Amino acid sequence: MPTDVAIAPRLEITGLDAGYFGQPVVRDLNLQVGAGEVVALLGANGAGKTTTLETIAGLYAPIAGTIAMDGSEIGGRATHKLAREGVSLVPESRALFNGLTVREHLQLARTGGNDLPTDAVLEMLPELEKCLARKAGVLSGGEQQMLAVGRALVGRPHLLLVDEMSLGLAPIIVERLLPILRRVATEMGTGVLFVEQHVPLALQVADKAYVLSHGRLVLEGMAQRLRGESELLRASYLGDEAAEKITALPVGDRRNGDTEALPPKGYEEPSDRGAPDVGDGLGSETDRGTQHT
Amino acid sequence: MSSYILFLLLGLGSGAIYAILALGLVMKYRSAGVVDFGHSAVAMFIAYVYFGLRTEGKLELPWAILPHEITITGSEMGNAPAMIAALLYAAVLGLVMYLLIYRPLRHATQLARICASVGILLYLQAIAVLDFSSNPKSVPTILPDSPLHFAGVIVPVDRLWFAGLVVVLATALWSTYRFTRFGLATRAASENEEGAAVIGLSADRIAATNWVLATVLAALAGILIAPIATIQPASYTLFIVPALAVALVARFQSFAIAAAAGLILGMLQSEVTKLISVIDWLPKEGLPEAIPFIVIVVGMTLVAKGMRARGEIVVQRNPSLGRPSRPYVTTAFCFAVGAIALVLLQGSLRFALISSFVWICLALSLVVLTGYVGQVSLAQMAFAGVSAFALTHITGQLGIGFPFSFILASLAAVPLGIVIGLPALRLRGVNLAVVTLSAGLVLDSLVFNWTWFTGGLGGTKVGNPSLLGWNLGISSGNAYPRVIFGIFVLAVVCGIGLLVARLRRAPAGRMMIAVRSNERAAAAAGIDVNRTKLLAFALSSWIAGVGGVLFAYTQQTVSPPTFEVFTSLGLVAIAFVAGVGRIGGAVFAGIMMASTGLFVTFLNREFNIGKYQLLVAGLLLTITAIKQPDGVAANPPPPLVHAWKWLEARLFYKSETAQASSTVAASAGSEH
Repeated sequence: MPTDVAIAPRLEITGLDAGYFGQPVVRDLNLQVGAGEVVALLGANGAGKTTTLETIAGLYAPIAGTIAMDGSEIGGRATHKLAREGVSLVPESRALFNGLTVREHLQLARTGGNDLPTDAVLEMLPELEKCLARKAGVLSGGEQQMLAVGRALVGRPHLLLVDEMSLGLAPIIVERLLPILRRVATEMGTGVLFVEQHVPLALQVADKAYVLSHGRLVLEGMAQRLRGESELLRASYLGDEAAEKITALPVGDRRNGDTEALPPKGYEEPSDRGAPDVGDGLGSETDRGTQHT
Repeated sequence: MSSYILFLLLGLGSGAIYAILALGLVMKYRSAGVVDFGHSAVAMFIAYVYFGLRTEGKLELPWAILPHEITITGSEMGNAPAMIAALLYAAVLGLVMYLLIYRPLRHATQLARICASVGILLYLQAIAVLDFSSNPKSVPTILPDSPLHFAGVIVPVDRLWFAGLVVVLATALWSTYRFTRFGLATRAASENEEGAAVIGLSADRIAATNWVLATVLAALAGILIAPIATIQPASYTLFIVPALAVALVARFQSFAIAAAAGLILGMLQSEVTKLISVIDWLPKEGLPEAIPFIVIVVGMTLVAKGMRARGEIVVQRNPSLGRPSRPYVTTAFCFAVGAIALVLLQGSLRFALISSFVWICLALSLVVLTGYVGQVSLAQMAFAGVSAFALTHITGQLGIGFPFSFILASLAAVPLGIVIGLPALRLRGVNLAVVTLSAGLVLDSLVFNWTWFTGGLGGTKVGNPSLLGWNLGISSGNAYPRVIFGIFVLAVVCGIGLLVARLRRAPAGRMMIAVRSNERAAAAAGIDVNRTKLLAFALSSWIAGVGGVLFAYTQQTVSPPTFEVFTSLGLVAIAFVAGVGRIGGAVFAGIMMASTGLFVTFLNREFNIGKYQLLVAGLLLTITAIKQPDGVAANPPPPLVHAWKWLEARLFYKSETAQASSTVAASAGSEH
């Protein structure tokens, strides 16, 4: 149960420019993940989702803007230090140690503090139990992904960042894995931010979703609500050509500014930021632990 | 029979050193991804530190010129305190070297790391020669060496101590890596750095710790072998070759295999020295040195699959290549400038300029091989040497005249280049560097020791080249060095330069660059990777052969030391520093950096500092590898760029206005 109801959100990103060699790929991103909240980061290939996640995890220094966890700034700190402080990344590549066994992975991930015992990890991911003594390199893709998630959970992260869990996996495994994120958020009060290409699945699990396009935030809202807006989502994915459709749609309040970054057709970004009015009508699976500030 | 056993047991001494050095190499590779060619040079230096403490109570610091001795006790030190102090010293040195050199290189190319470590090797080697001279120093015994009756022979008991020590160390390392969290973390970080970081492990700290431990191990090896081997710069530094052979057999992974292979290699070598004395037809020199090479070639080319790649965050990058845009005009221009310089300079400086031309040729051989195809060869001087000695035989015994003798002699290096290139079909990067280094050493110690082939230490005289009765030689009566000889060398080198420049944009050159970038992708695009690599090796060895022949004509006498393996290392060093992907880099290397080239000769004549050339080259190599992995020619100093632009505007403005406007600053490096 989320015992520590955070005063500040687990993760608060303000005006983040992120990218490589000083070249921003993501521009002016504002994003929040509350304790116990599951947030999906969506968007087409090249939208900047992975860049965002990796910058939060400290693999790259932010170019501008702030990244705060539980109210304190963490932007630009080294990945391994952040990992010890509770920022846990499951990278797209999974980054497993092929020559080490599953058990060794789980042992090595211990931080020495209030770690999750191996049994608890196995209880969440029972498939790992039978391959505890096997090396990661010989596991199947699905088992590897479970191990990557399991390893990330050992330190009871405050913030769990999951990059494209479904990459190369059968849909049935994804359906099995994604709900675990919900469970982690609920049981450990973890803020979960995950990148996912399978949009309907992501919206089933998430409380909230952000959609990036060409490095800009183009859409954000409660998952419950976005589920009904497939047209809008599709438009945000398709980018420029579909931008007109978005403007034509009646979506909540709109942010002003930022017009130069988006399609040159007088388009403004729709935004649900900080709109508590959409909080009603959430399904039972999503109405716990969503704390806005 | 018993004497065979005796030699086997005697070999445990050197075998233990190979094993301990190889253990350190495995640790360094597993933790930091660096194959440290300077590993045994560190062992050598620490052995000197120990020697200084033990005999005079003085602490040696790792530099020359500046004061480098601190008196501690002023008199002999006890064995234990001297040893402990030397090992602590090694720990500090290891940490400093990791932080200053290898940590910044964690995301550099493997080539840059090799070059940095070769730089350290050259640097420490030069320091040792400058500070301690190359005379061997003998050290009182450390381990007990009373005679022991064993299996019917009497051996010094220290050999068994050595073997025991190796077993203990290997077991300790194996169990540490197997069972402790530190070991687990090291293995994890070497498998996947990103994975280590996301679970809170600092790959950097892990690597630093391993590096320090490995350096201490190397130091221990260096100190312990000192009473048996006597301390001497070159022989100690070259322990790296058998140690690398052993580490390769262990695939840079297994401590147990490294320990066993080290001991076995030492015993084999020792046994071979016995066999040489018994079996007449075996070559008397160099055979023990050849064994590591055989081990490497058998172990790597035929059996093993090569080194496991490490999981690193950043994709490796090759050195940047020049794009020669006007090869013919540039060549003509360079020829003119060179010819004018030849006429203007006199005496030793003219000779130095001619030497520079020869070095340019040798460096060009690396532009093709390392620059275009990305293959590291540490045996270029061996190719050159074979051609140079072949020339003496072709002109001498066979009596073949000039242009043909030149061609035949330069081609003599090609078969050798292809043979050494064969392992490259299976190996890449570091493995190949190790193979070529050991091949170079074999040629150096085996072939160049055949008196019938080389004429012994005194060398063999080379006749002057002459064409249709016209003497092209470097000397004629009192005239020395002659301009006409310089023009001849210049013409040949310009021709080679033009060839290399044209190759860059020819189909064969594009294939080479494709192979360098990604072998699998190149193969998928229909390029015969093996043929391309062999072509590059053949071409490169031929160019090196041409360099060797020119060398022979320049020196007039060829002797083996000219082509020793350290010269090969030095050549790679200066070629890499100057910019191995560019013809301009080769020119820079030849003129500015070669030990007998124009600039160093000038400095030496004016300031008498030529003896520091290797030291400076080593240092520069390391710094360049860290700071400017594309070499000086890729980013020439601004004044040079301006000068070139100014010249270019005047030279090419009328004929090629359109092109001239499109060239950029980099052309200063890539054009000539």
